[in-house]
Amino acid sequence: MQETIMHNSRELKKEFIKKWVQGLHICCSSKKQMNLLERKNKIKLSADIALASAKNSTTCWSKAIISKAEKDEQNMILVNNLSGSGSKFMCAHQKVSCHKRITSKKILKKSYGFRKKMKKMEPCDHGSNLATCIAKRLVKKRTQVLKRLVPGGEFMDEFSVIKEALDYILSLRVQVDVMKNLVNATTILN
Amino acid sequence: MSSRRSGESSSETLKITDAQIVQLLSKLKQLLPEIRNRRSNKASASKVLQETCNYVRSLHREVDDLSDRLSQLLSTVDAESPEASVIRSLIM
Repeated sequence: MQETIMHNSRELKKEFIKKWVQGLHICCSSKKQMNLLERKNKIKLSADIALASAKNSTTCWSKAIISKAEKDEQNMILVNNLSGSGSKFMCAHQKVSCHKRITSKKILKKSYGFRKKMKKMEPCDHGSNLATCIAKRLVKKRTQVLKRLVPGGEFMDEFSVIKEALDYILSLRVQVDVMKNLVNATTILN
Repeated sequence: MSSRRSGESSSETLKITDAQIVQLLSKLKQLLPEIRNRRSNKASASKVLQETCNYVRSLHREVDDLSDRLSQLLSTVDAESPEASVIRSLIM
């Protein structure tokens, strides 16, 4: 299993490098006079979009990054060049399904709130029950934090968030690796 | 969706995904540097999740830091030198 992970990382790296260099060409050659902050944001944005599009819509987090970037019109050139026009259809569909999920979740939350009130009234019987209560609440809290960290996590259930976080971590590692190598190469050449 | 039906389906899905959750958490454990280094198999679910959040945050910070350095380096590249032209042709 380690070998398949390594193989996938190598493939992802190749795709990411290709797309990021493309993105950097688009960003850094458009305006010659950019201040440091603007340039840094463009570099970071092109890296994120390149990473997301290198996944080829196989994961939720990558689709979330691209649909978030598409909301800003200034990024459209970058997004279209890196991810192609197919993502637009997916984006619209995702927006509709996300909206449906949000409204249905709101309805569920209202009914859950009532159930929770009823549950809290029940006393915890033995010590082991209390421990599992606390453990469950801790896990729930941590999962909420993870939902905020993984792109698109707010729309996922707890199981998918963990699955997506696995893949997101692996891809972030690839991104950091490539960026480090580029920074080192540029430092040496300078 | 009646509340009774949703109660039953949630307990069913819990049965199916409990084992899968354990599997996922063990995979996560292998990825996280902190827990791997300590070599303890006793990491609880909440600890694994906490380490995951910390790791994702640190990776985000690294990306931010590297973008910063890269932008500083690229802004100083406008000198006339063969190396600068290499960088320019590669990235800009």
